[in-house]
Amino acid sequence: MTDSHSESGIPLKPVYGPEDWDASRYASSLGDPGQFPFARGPRPAGGGRRGWIQRELSGEGDPERSNQQFHELLAKGQTGLDVIGDAPTVALLDPDHPLARHAIGTQGVSLCRLDDYRALYRGLPLDRITLSHSLPPLFVIAALHSVARERGVDPAVLRGSVVQAPYYCEDTGYALGMPFALRERMSVDSIAFAAREMPKFHAFLEDTYYISDGGLDAVEEMALGFVEIRGLIRALLARGVAIDDFAPRIAILVNCRMDVFEEVAKIRATRRLHARMLCDEFGARDPRSLAVNVAAHTSGMSLTAQQPVNNVVRGTIQALALALAGVQAIEISTFDEAYRTPSPEAHEVALRTQQILHLESNVTKVADPLGGSFFVESLTDELERRIDAMVRSIEAQGDAASLAESGFFRRLFHDAMERHARAIDSGALPKVGVNCHQVAPEDDTLLREVTATKIEPYRGRVAELEQHRRSRDAGRAGASLDALGACAADPRANLTPAVIDAFAAGATVGEMAGVLRTVYGASADAFGAHRAAG
Amino acid sequence: MPSARTGPRDERRFEMRPVRVLLGLLGMDQHEVGAVAVARLLRDAGMEVVYLGRFNLPPEIARAAADEGVDVIGLSCHSWEYLHYVDELLARLREEGIAAPVVLGGSVITPEDARAMEDKGVAACFGPGADSAQIVATIRRLAGRDGDGKGNGVSDGT
Repeated sequence: MTDSHSESGIPLKPVYGPEDWDASRYASSLGDPGQFPFARGPRPAGGGRRGWIQRELSGEGDPERSNQQFHELLAKGQTGLDVIGDAPTVALLDPDHPLARHAIGTQGVSLCRLDDYRALYRGLPLDRITLSHSLPPLFVIAALHSVARERGVDPAVLRGSVVQAPYYCEDTGYALGMPFALRERMSVDSIAFAAREMPKFHAFLEDTYYISDGGLDAVEEMALGFVEIRGLIRALLARGVAIDDFAPRIAILVNCRMDVFEEVAKIRATRRLHARMLCDEFGARDPRSLAVNVAAHTSGMSLTAQQPVNNVVRGTIQALALALAGVQAIEISTFDEAYRTPSPEAHEVALRTQQILHLESNVTKVADPLGGSFFVESLTDELERRIDAMVRSIEAQGDAASLAESGFFRRLFHDAMERHARAIDSGALPKVGVNCHQVAPEDDTLLREVTATKIEPYRGRVAELEQHRRSRDAGRAGASLDALGACAADPRANLTPAVIDAFAAGATVGEMAGVLRTVYGASADAFGAHRAAG
Repeated sequence: MPSARTGPRDERRFEMRPVRVLLGLLGMDQHEVGAVAVARLLRDAGMEVVYLGRFNLPPEIARAAADEGVDVIGLSCHSWEYLHYVDELLARLREEGIAAPVVLGGSVITPEDARAMEDKGVAACFGPGADSAQIVATIRRLAGRDGDGKGNGVSDGT
């Protein structure tokens, strides 16, 4: 085996030339930025905003602590917000669930009722900033819509996004304990609702970051992403939503590993594939439906627990790749990623990295600076071909529901995890400080103290929630949950208004999720055995 | 596999079956990458892995360890939750008379945390950078298969 292949295994030549890319195909295969097929970028060069939205992943502890974190990040010059829930919140468990107790607020913010969202967004200019959420979409859209209205902000002006992860969440890190049909419905309903009520908000943010950061390569990442995008599009069309009513707010949140040119080419290929699929297969005509926004997180998996300072360098290289690819938003996974959600120090370093790249390096002045490179164009073509072929191959094996239920996707994720581990073990994937150039643990001290500082679980949330359950109008909360159940039983109804009503009545996300699971034939507590055992 | 038919506590057959290891995650920790990699590593080394997956609390781990008759309990730790579960787990294992030693592995385990865990009675901890051969050798030793024929010699602290 030679070293001459990309991280996803595409063979590489020592040098590329005119035989590798035919410039006469410029108009059909590239086009200028802002022109079909949008390989060079979704927007025309030179006009309007230059650069990207700079944001760092935030959210820890209770909503008040996270709100404080938002204000600190905005004060440091962050231009958008990016919030993730703690593990129970993302799994739709209330903090008083037996499984949740030691995980409350440690890896994200704990949110389970409307009061929490009120506190989370307190004092933020909702009409002027973009709010990106790695949180359960149906509940975020309902809560954000409610809080905006309470504050006199028209939901139609809200900007930002929420990740949709219905197909793969059970097999990766976002398990909900819900059947496929319910997961898909929650996505479809929230996207359809937002298309009407929050038309500037990207309610359809395909998240290929989280599915791929267990070890999928760039081709697998985007193939699975497109399988989910295409599946959700078909489901929305089947619900009678017109393609150009929601497709302008499809965006993709991708991963960025260490292979600089492959990641750039992947993003360019993704924009082109998206445009072609939306145009040729789904009949979209609005140019905004064809020109997909791409946001990115730099790969947490590429970072190391050893010599954490090296992760600053990795994040910089990855962010440069993303800037060269012309993405719309960047989040750099911080140097303490292997141990914890970002510390204030790590946030600051990552944000300053983005600012230096943006302001000092001149990379924002010219759009798609690698366009026309024999190598990058050849790699873009090859990635597009491989991603498209894998999408067709997966779709030929069955619909997403049966592939998910049969364990097809789970096997794919597990195979990738094993492959990645072998590549690190064998040294095939070099990792400085891990499989080469290691230092002794006792000498590995730089930034160590910051990295290992822990967040205690916010167990006070349990008592707060008990108090909330006691003080609310139990009759009203119960009636709102019954209404949500009735709504869920009607396949033509949209769940979002019923969730908005239930939030207003003081119901919690855990309670709502329980009702939804029951209607779909699952156990109300997806982790019921644990309640008895605990 | 004939060994699976052997009674889990059948000491006479102990040396004849492969080392059995329970692998799982605690609480809400959903980062399976490490657990999947270690499962592969141990299977490649000829061990039997009972993969319990995610969302486990100490009582379930103890029950599975007893039901499956494992030699070693391995827990993958990619959140800090393990710090809060270890006391309860070790107490549960003692109460139920389960001798299988507990091994923790994961990138979040610092050397200081590893020492604290070993003081509580955890048999071994593998932090970031743990070497594959060392993991296999330690588990073999903890299962009493390091070739000295003395069986399980790692009950210190439990």
